[in-house]
Amino acid sequence: MSIEFFLDNRPVTAEPGETILDVARKNGIEIPTLCRDERVSKTTSCFVCVVKDLKTGKFLPSCSACPAPGQNIDSSSDEVKDMRRTALNLLLSEHSGDCEAPCTLACPAHAAVEEYVRAGKNGDFMGALKIIKQRIPLPLSIGRVCPRFCEKQCRRNVYGEPVAINEFKRTAADLCYDEYMEDLPGLSGKKVAIAGGGPAGLSAAYYLRLGGVASVIYEAMPKAGGMLRYGIPEYRLPKATLDRELAHFEKMGIEFRFNSKIGTNVALDDLKKEYDAVILAVGCWAGSSMRCEGEELALSGIDFLRDVVESGNTLLANPGRVAVVGGGNSAMDCVRTAVRLGSADVNCFYRRTENEMPAEKLEIEEAKEEGVKFHFLAAPVKLEKRNGALALTLRKMELGEPDASGRRKPVEVPGSDYTLEFDTVIAAIGQKTAAPGGVEVNRYGDILQIAGEKLYAAGDCVSGAATVVEGVASGRDAANLVLKDLLGIPVPQEHTVNVSRGKWQSLKKEDLVFLRDDVSEAPREKLAYISLEERKSSFKEVNASMTPEQLAKEGKRCIECSCTDKHDCALRKHGECYHCNPEAIPGERQKLSYDIRHPQIIQDRSKCIKCGVCVKTCKEVVNLTLLSPKYRGFATCVGTAFDQGLPESCSSCGKCVEACPTGALDWRIKK
Amino acid sequence: MNSDIKFFRVGVASCGVAAGAAEVRTLLENAVDVPVIGVGCIGHCYAEPIVEAVLKDGSSVFYSEVKANDKAIANIIELGEANRFEIPAVRKEKELVKVLALAGKVDPVNFDDYVANGGYEGLKRALAMRPEEVVNEVKLSGLRGRGGGGFPTGNKWSFLAAKQADEKIVICNADEGDPGAFMDRALMESVPHQVLEGMLIAAYATGSTKIFIYCRAEYPLAIKNVSTAIAQIIEHKLNVLDGREIEIVIKEGAGAFVCGEETALIASLEGRRGQPRFRPPFPTDSGYKGYPTMINNVETFGNVPVILREGGAAFASVGTEGSKGTKIFALAGDLKFPGLVEVPMGTTLNEIVFDIGGADRSVVKAVQTGGPSGGCIPVELFDTPVDYDSLRTLGAIMGSGGMIVVGNDRCMVETARYFLDFTHRESCGKCTFCRVGTMRMFEILERITAGKGREEDISMLEDLGKKVKAGSLCGLGQTAPNPVLATLRFYRNEYEEHVREHRCSALQCNALVDLALEQDKCIKCKLCIKTCPVGAIGDDFVIDNDKCTRCNSCADVCPKKAIKRVAKGTK
Repeated sequence: MSIEFFLDNRPVTAEPGETILDVARKNGIEIPTLCRDERVSKTTSCFVCVVKDLKTGKFLPSCSACPAPGQNIDSSSDEVKDMRRTALNLLLSEHSGDCEAPCTLACPAHAAVEEYVRAGKNGDFMGALKIIKQRIPLPLSIGRVCPRFCEKQCRRNVYGEPVAINEFKRTAADLCYDEYMEDLPGLSGKKVAIAGGGPAGLSAAYYLRLGGVASVIYEAMPKAGGMLRYGIPEYRLPKATLDRELAHFEKMGIEFRFNSKIGTNVALDDLKKEYDAVILAVGCWAGSSMRCEGEELALSGIDFLRDVVESGNTLLANPGRVAVVGGGNSAMDCVRTAVRLGSADVNCFYRRTENEMPAEKLEIEEAKEEGVKFHFLAAPVKLEKRNGALALTLRKMELGEPDASGRRKPVEVPGSDYTLEFDTVIAAIGQKTAAPGGVEVNRYGDILQIAGEKLYAAGDCVSGAATVVEGVASGRDAANLVLKDLLGIPVPQEHTVNVSRGKWQSLKKEDLVFLRDDVSEAPREKLAYISLEERKSSFKEVNASMTPEQLAKEGKRCIECSCTDKHDCALRKHGECYHCNPEAIPGERQKLSYDIRHPQIIQDRSKCIKCGVCVKTCKEVVNLTLLSPKYRGFATCVGTAFDQGLPESCSSCGKCVEACPTGALDWRIKK
Repeated sequence: MNSDIKFFRVGVASCGVAAGAAEVRTLLENAVDVPVIGVGCIGHCYAEPIVEAVLKDGSSVFYSEVKANDKAIANIIELGEANRFEIPAVRKEKELVKVLALAGKVDPVNFDDYVANGGYEGLKRALAMRPEEVVNEVKLSGLRGRGGGGFPTGNKWSFLAAKQADEKIVICNADEGDPGAFMDRALMESVPHQVLEGMLIAAYATGSTKIFIYCRAEYPLAIKNVSTAIAQIIEHKLNVLDGREIEIVIKEGAGAFVCGEETALIASLEGRRGQPRFRPPFPTDSGYKGYPTMINNVETFGNVPVILREGGAAFASVGTEGSKGTKIFALAGDLKFPGLVEVPMGTTLNEIVFDIGGADRSVVKAVQTGGPSGGCIPVELFDTPVDYDSLRTLGAIMGSGGMIVVGNDRCMVETARYFLDFTHRESCGKCTFCRVGTMRMFEILERITAGKGREEDISMLEDLGKKVKAGSLCGLGQTAPNPVLATLRFYRNEYEEHVREHRCSALQCNALVDLALEQDKCIKCKLCIKTCPVGAIGDDFVIDNDKCTRCNSCADVCPKKAIKRVAKGTK
């Protein structure tokens, strides 16, 4: 006799023995569950599948409750969803591990770092490049100039140096960039204008093309590349390499219009009329001022670098005694360029100490090697002409309380002024956006509107001066918004649930999970540098890409922090569906206790949700009883007999791995 | 020895033995020629060891707190005046001792003694009736499950009786796990035959073939006495009902609180991990090894011979509309007379706590009923009659019958924390809400009592509490938040003062309390300095609260009560 009842006010019918969950599935009503596995008897554990009996007001686990005639079951109200969300949040609150590797999370473009490092380790550089280009369309450049957000979060920092992640990009691109061509879809007929051919604009054009939309890049300068060409010196990114990178964009059919500056040569309104959408990616090209008397006598860092590039690296044949004010990467580019132009006396002035310098440590080191003199806790107060030279008056500073950026604020030391003479003074203290007229900007001059009314914006002109990889990420975001608005393609969502065991600074080596037995203890591979003499006297690229052999060694140093189950984890999937937050309910997490005694299977108890499906699978499907729940309360876990690990009688059939809704039981090999 | 004495009774249940009754019994046996009978508990645990001299005229003289020395024994055997014990008159008036009538009267392991006092009379009457008539008699009595749930016992019996199966199982749930509850232990230690008689009647009425007693291993004396009684039953062939021989098995639980839940208990009996499962199927449909199974609590079975002896209707004449008969409560906490008490259903908390328990009205704040699954009831509501339904409306439960009196110097947040500390550890770990939710609630309570609570903690406690109740499979999770929700209902101000003002007005939470020595009361005896385990009191008699662990040893030894707990930071 079938049973008639109501599910979300719809009359439905259940056959005897069918649960509410079964009936819901038959009727296309989705109810999430983590612990119901048709292959084994019911476990009734996770309570993510709860529904409400409207007559009694009771919540029922739909995986186990069979409907009663006339029952009215609510499976979709806010109250029911709230119960499910709380169940998921509770499970996430005890879950410990890393859904995604910290390197990938740290990358502004969310490139799948662990995956391309693994491909590179295995010598599959074409595979690595394909993974990289899903998020980074400029691997030849970024492989050379990226400040490596990923490496700063690499767990190998816990003991020793991080994996040389960026070198995988550089080498993969060096080896395979020219041969690789994406599968391009047919064009939709829509066309987009992009103002600016720097990282953000190029990235937007790239991802638009991958989405079937053609674009034309309007570039103010005679050549494309933006800061890659005019801001980053030859010795870090050879222009030939950049040209090689850009040639691919033309191969993809992306058009360029050079010497076309928005607001000057091209009117924004005309573009809006002519195209289906316009993306502004005009960058930050105005140097910030030193805010001191006589500052107009100084060169702007960005102008200096651009002039050097435009002159073919020969202008200012010898800038004489050089002072560069600033502590960022542009300042490093300026001092090192000055060295290469022949100056024997290059000085960098920074108002805080080396610890607070925003420039990359490696850049600072290399500048020091090249003979640059650093002067810390010194701020410019006056610049004037004296005896045919420039007299720069500086004031000594000391560090006070930390400011909003967390860095200690420099405080003037009264009466400490001193004056030094130079032939060239360069202000490299930051860049500002020079937005085209008619676009709304914030108080820093950055563009506010990033999407809507056919007008979009991306890159430095939105964020203020940032890195190439951030520009690329921003360009992709803009492209995705355009693709959504023009073609209705949904914006790909990043994972919103990312459980993390924390930054490496709070971890010890024992806290790390080693999936493989062959994680190398060797130190980081070294880059091969050209001689210091060559560095100081030419604009040759300072170091060579790592060899595949070096990267095979380097790849073995990767711990592969991400979860084996990150693509299939039901907890993560439902958690994202229900807008969960692993931090919503604070409290102690499960202690790390992974077990890799079995050659193929990892048992990571800290990811276990205690549903017991593995226990039942081993018993009821495999006819073995190798797994069993033990302990009580929060400490409950699934264990093996006498804690000896999975025994030899385990045939590695993998049924428990298949059954586990999370990564608590999984294969040790990542595909 | 005084020649009026016929024999002696010495209470040697666990409460008596813990107070030294075994030594008293040995000394007494050596001192007199009349019989010295070890009996169970008469409920006055605060007065143990208790010796009853039964006189030849049938009257008795009671002695309490008897020391195991020759002087004390000499006093008793000469019927001296020292340590004489009278049961308070008000208690005699309020109590109605039916289930515990033979506790403390008969020798628990003497079959003949039990029979001579009306034992197995109920079984005899039952066997003279048809099984369904027995079920009806139990239905008529209105008896409800004494383990806490309060399900009508007769109905449960009829479900099992209606089943056709090769084997049917009766289980006695003797896994009494609530902190502060000891009714079942006392019954099994004092009158094991009465519990077994109830089970035999149930087996007859339901046509069952096998009896299990699932008793926690922490009750060795109860297990011993019940085992002895089982052997005597078999010897007297009382386990042969209607021609079928009933197997009686006692099984010791391994200490998991959750095994008091019926489906977990069955799993444990079967040799599996003690974890509850979803119901239906109910055990009467599919229980032990799939056989129809019925589980009743010790006290429920203890009531059955009474019902059969006096008849269901007479039984139902006592109590309230929805709750019939008497109920045994275990009184503990801040009162004068901790122990067991048996009163008619419907007796008010005022009568139980103040009249019988002798608590001081001016220092009582609340009573916690139902142990960690129950809730607190504030003293203002003590005119509530105690029965299943009225307690539930107050957010508390009857539970198995533990009653813990909470004094004014107890912090209700700390009380809730204490109970959650118990339940979160005892969760079997199966249901998300119970396993993780109770842990999170416990952590919040730890935070609040440590003075580190956040404003949102209170609402999170309430939200989680409701959800843990609604999203758990068994009684453990469904009731674990009760102590928190009940204290939040009646004592929310205490939570708020901890969180907002970092103050514990009961001065119980150590993190929010300092110790202070009043110099003008101090007589410089240095007892406190000598007692302090951490050297926190200097020669100037000033307490260094940074060193002090708030153990209170100094306050306890101070002859002038010059040391007090004060709010943290008090100058």
